[in-house]
Amino acid sequence: MSDYAILAENLSYWYNSLIAVDHISFQVERGEVLGFLGPNGAGKTTTVKMLIGLLKPKAGKATMLGMDISTEVEKVQNKIGVCFEVTNLYEQMSALENLNFFAQLFSVKNFNGLELLKRVGLSGREKEKVENYSKGMKQRLMIARSLVNKPEILFLDEPTAGLDPVSSEEIRNIILEEKKRGVTIFLTTHDMWEADKLSDKVAFIDRGKIVALDAPLNLKQQYGKRALIAKIQNDDGKYEEKEITLDTPETPMGISNLLQKGKIITLHSEEATLEDIFIKITGRGLL
Amino acid sequence: MINFHIIKTLVAKELKLFMKNRFFALITVLGMFFYILVYFLMPKTVNETLKLGIYAPTIPPILEQFQGEGLKLDSFDSEEKLKNAVLQGKVSAGIAFPVDFMKIIATGERPTLKLFILSNLPSEVKSAVELMLNELILMQTGHPLSVEVKQEILGYDMLGKQIPPRKLIIPLLAFILILTEGWGLATLIAEEIEKKTIQALLVTPITIRDIFIAKGITGTALAFIQVTFFLIITGGLSKEPLLILTTLMMGAIMITGFSFLIGSVAKDFMSVLGWGIIMFFGMSFPSFNILFPGAIITDWIKLIPSYYLVETIYRVINYGYGWKEVWLYLIYILAFSIGLLLLGTLSLRRRFQ
Repeated sequence: MSDYAILAENLSYWYNSLIAVDHISFQVERGEVLGFLGPNGAGKTTTVKMLIGLLKPKAGKATMLGMDISTEVEKVQNKIGVCFEVTNLYEQMSALENLNFFAQLFSVKNFNGLELLKRVGLSGREKEKVENYSKGMKQRLMIARSLVNKPEILFLDEPTAGLDPVSSEEIRNIILEEKKRGVTIFLTTHDMWEADKLSDKVAFIDRGKIVALDAPLNLKQQYGKRALIAKIQNDDGKYEEKEITLDTPETPMGISNLLQKGKIITLHSEEATLEDIFIKITGRGLL
Repeated sequence: MINFHIIKTLVAKELKLFMKNRFFALITVLGMFFYILVYFLMPKTVNETLKLGIYAPTIPPILEQFQGEGLKLDSFDSEEKLKNAVLQGKVSAGIAFPVDFMKIIATGERPTLKLFILSNLPSEVKSAVELMLNELILMQTGHPLSVEVKQEILGYDMLGKQIPPRKLIIPLLAFILILTEGWGLATLIAEEIEKKTIQALLVTPITIRDIFIAKGITGTALAFIQVTFFLIITGGLSKEPLLILTTLMMGAIMITGFSFLIGSVAKDFMSVLGWGIIMFFGMSFPSFNILFPGAIITDWIKLIPSYYLVETIYRVINYGYGWKEVWLYLIYILAFSIGLLLLGTLSLRRRFQ
């Protein structure tokens, strides 16, 4: 059995003359969360569509759980769960009917839809038509649907986009629970904070190519600026902000001077955000 | 290999969504009652009596004898009143005799009779009037008119066995029922694409083929069951039921093909409505041709796939045609059904992908 949940080698796709995905290669280990980041039109959706079997790669190959996505797509699809960015539920049906329908398609035995709905916080409204649900409720149902077959790999496309902070946090908790269960998660998001918090590794994709792939901390160390920012109050009562660059010969002296100079109001380290790093690498923003 | 469990699950979902769509659930139930009501409101007999208007200052004796089965004569006081009666459709045609008609006949001269006929009078009525006039003159004078009247039976010779409107309308109502269900199926398909639920289906272990089979079964079954029920109620299955049911099954498949085509081009409900209306009118022409024979040019109408379907139903129900007489039509229906289903499937497959 392959050690990798997802292994992509020179994966490519193009629409006529437009190259959407240009020979990308990456691996995701089992139980790992990969944050897949990039601006609109960078090739994220096309990559995901190839991996979940909606598009056939024009070149290169990819295996999921050791199975080729081009030749064993149905077997692969049995093992994955997909939560799309756009709400695509049967809104005339109830939440329970939606889940039961997909459970039947996956031939899940002894499926307990009520339990799953309880887990995503929708118990009590299981018989209500989905069209009456709020956006947050629909999104939680989308997550529940992607978990119907107890997937080994979970694809989440912007799972918290447009949601209020409470709903977003609930969904993040579900993602973390799945991670604990050992599920591999492929997370596509614009939310850098979310990617940073949830991902073991992040991949930056730009113009169809992966331009960086590493753990968020490593990327920050590699590309980020390391400094201490201190806000101090001088003897005359005025506030002043000081920046001390770390990892230089002058750093110890700088810190010592800071402590002696005045009253420290706040002191924190300055790290680059993933967005800063992306801009640094590609020269453009994520949105 | 076909996965029957998956197909059953998909069909159950399609039926559930169809019945949850209030519009289609309503027109399915109400439509059925409406069409049955229309059927029973139509006259069940045909009035074959020809009503003629006469203006004759001196009534020829023969006219008295001429009235009887199949002919009713109404007398008018003046030529003007007779013309008005023809124009208002109170009589099928009017004949004005000259004042001195009997005198002219007696002298052996040729009298001039005026015949008033509406321009849109059906040709068979015109022929009947001409024949009647010829007969009248022959009986009165012993000589035929110096006009040769040729009788030509257009279509089936229905002398003595006219089909009542109630029976004539069966193919049209049956076909509208099938079309309506096709419309519903097209809406379900368009919504599946528009709301992107198709993507959710395509990332499960089911195949596009499963989806097509399920949608095909749903569309065909909905149309077939309804139209069969309609025909049972209206007595349309009293002759050659197996032949009728086979024809309807193929018709339902044909409309499913059309639904796939509409579903593949339409973007939403309104778009389905627009395309559906175009399909409805185009495919209904042959049915109207049966109701109003001769009103539509018959050569090009044979290019419309539904022509063979409604003609077969019409001939079997009303003339007792059997497999031997309609086998060629059945082959045409089968060819059109398979062709449209393939075309619809290919078009929809492209849209799904």
